[in-house]
Amino acid sequence: MLYILLCNAKYNSSHGYFMTTAEKEEKTQEKWEVQLRKGTLELVILAALQHRTLYGLELLKLLQSFKSAAITEGTLYPLLDRLKREGIVDAQWVQEGDVRPRKYYSLTATGHHKLADLITLWRQSVLDVEFLLAHPGPDALPVQGE
Amino acid sequence: MEQRDIIHQYLKELERYLARLEKAQAQEVLKEIESHIFDALEQQQGSGLTEDAKAILQGFGEPRELALAYIAHITTGAPPPVGFKAIQKVKQGVTVTLYYAMAAFGFSIALALFFIAGAEVIMPDSVGAWSAGNGHSLAIGFFATPYPADQELLGAWLAPIAILSALLVSTLTRRVLRALKHQR
Repeated sequence: MLYILLCNAKYNSSHGYFMTTAEKEEKTQEKWEVQLRKGTLELVILAALQHRTLYGLELLKLLQSFKSAAITEGTLYPLLDRLKREGIVDAQWVQEGDVRPRKYYSLTATGHHKLADLITLWRQSVLDVEFLLAHPGPDALPVQGE
Repeated sequence: MEQRDIIHQYLKELERYLARLEKAQAQEVLKEIESHIFDALEQQQGSGLTEDAKAILQGFGEPRELALAYIAHITTGAPPPVGFKAIQKVKQGVTVTLYYAMAAFGFSIALALFFIAGAEVIMPDSVGAWSAGNGHSLAIGFFATPYPADQELLGAWLAPIAILSALLVSTLTRRVLRALKHQR
């Protein structure tokens, strides 16, 4: 019995360490604004590239002109790299005149489909939140549906 | 330091950390970032600001961090969280301490049981298991003034039972130690 208890104590303590650290880490990152920006980032980038071809710096300046989409170079470029690997965006080096070559990004067919999916999710999410906000208590929520 | 030197030093460091990527891939990443930095630098000039490479590089973050974001898909799973090493160390420390404590604890009990068995054979009168306090407590061991023999519980059976218990305890201890070793 004692053996089992000792084993359990050891098991629990090691797992306990993991839990608390993970939770602490979560806590510091759990600023809602940061989470929201993170969650919408992919949608924002795909929307910015909709029927538009932009190079990195251009895209960055565009995103930074919006309060909710201000990200850094260090976030944007690795993300573009991932989107390219996933076949969502395409990239091409273009040299215009005597300026240095720039890498231009555009949506692929897959990217357009992905954008359509994300738009549906986003709009539903906004509708749901707005619905709740428009119907505060204490009255019961009206049955949803048009 | 000259603006260009700062930039080249940054790119060089980044290249070093991108070593896990294929050469062509790493060069592509570097070329794009270099293009961005010089573009941004020119834009600063164009809008009448003083060239500030450091401000641009700050947006990219530390070369090591930036490179990690590029190679994250190669390194299996998510990168370990900050402080992970420390946890491993504590965990290992706990296991090592527990391992030796367990060994000392288990084997000393087994040894004591063996000792009692041996003593019972050599001087059966002063060694034994007695029921004391009307059965409320049990005394095993050897005593200078033995309890009355009729209150002894096991008599000569004490020796084989003690040996069996000793074997059981040492086997159990070894099993637990093996399990603990696997955990490490």
